Amino acid sequence: MSGVTAAVAVGLSAAGVLVIVACAVLALVTNDLYARLHFLSPMTSLGAPLVTLGLAVSSGWSLTAGQLLLTGALLLVTGPGLEVAIGRTAAQQDGIEPLESPE
Amino acid sequence: MTAWMIETVVLAVGGVGPAILLAARGRPVQRLVGLQVGTVSVTVLLMLFAQSQHQSSYLIVPLVLVVLSFVGTLVFTRLTGPKP
Repeated sequence: MSGVTAAVAVGLSAAGVLVIVACAVLALVTNDLYARLHFLSPMTSLGAPLVTLGLAVSSGWSLTAGQLLLTGALLLVTGPGLEVAIGRTAAQQDGIEPLESPE
Repeated sequence: MTAWMIETVVLAVGGVGPAILLAARGRPVQRLVGLQVGTVSVTVLLMLFAQSQHQSSYLIVPLVLVVLSFVGTLVFTRLTGPKP
C-alpha cells in the first residue's frame, strides 16, 4: 500500500472515529431523549461509512473490502430505522403518538 | 502501536464509555439510545481491531453483530413500548 493510499485510509477512518466519538459525547451531555436521537443519525450515516471506506481503501480490492463494505452498508441501512423505532416508542409512552389501533 | 489500534482505543473510550453511561440511566426507552450508540461503536471498533491485527477472519463478528443488534433492538422497542 502506497503512502498516499495509507494516508487516505487513515484520514477517512480517523474522521469517522471523530464523528462517532463526538456524537456519543454529545448524546451523553444532552438531557432530552429526542435530542439524543438526533445524534444517532450521524454515527450510522456518516461516521461508520467513513471508517468503512477507510478500511476498504486500506484492504484494497479484495473479499475483505467486500465484507467491510457489507457491514458498513448494513449499519447505514438499519441505523435510521432503529432510531425511528426508538423515537416512536418514546413518543407513544409520552402520549405524543397514538397507540396502534387493534386490528 | 498502529493508527488502527489507536483509533480502536479512542473508540473504546470515547464511544463505548458514553454508551455504557447512557444505557445505565433513565427510563428503559432512554437506555435504548445507549444500546444503539454502543452497537455502532462496538461494531466499528471490531472492524478496526480486525484491521489492526491483520485478521480478516475476525470481520464476521461485526457483521453478525449488526444483524443481531438490529433485530434485538427492535425486540426491545416492542417490549418497552406501552401495552394497548
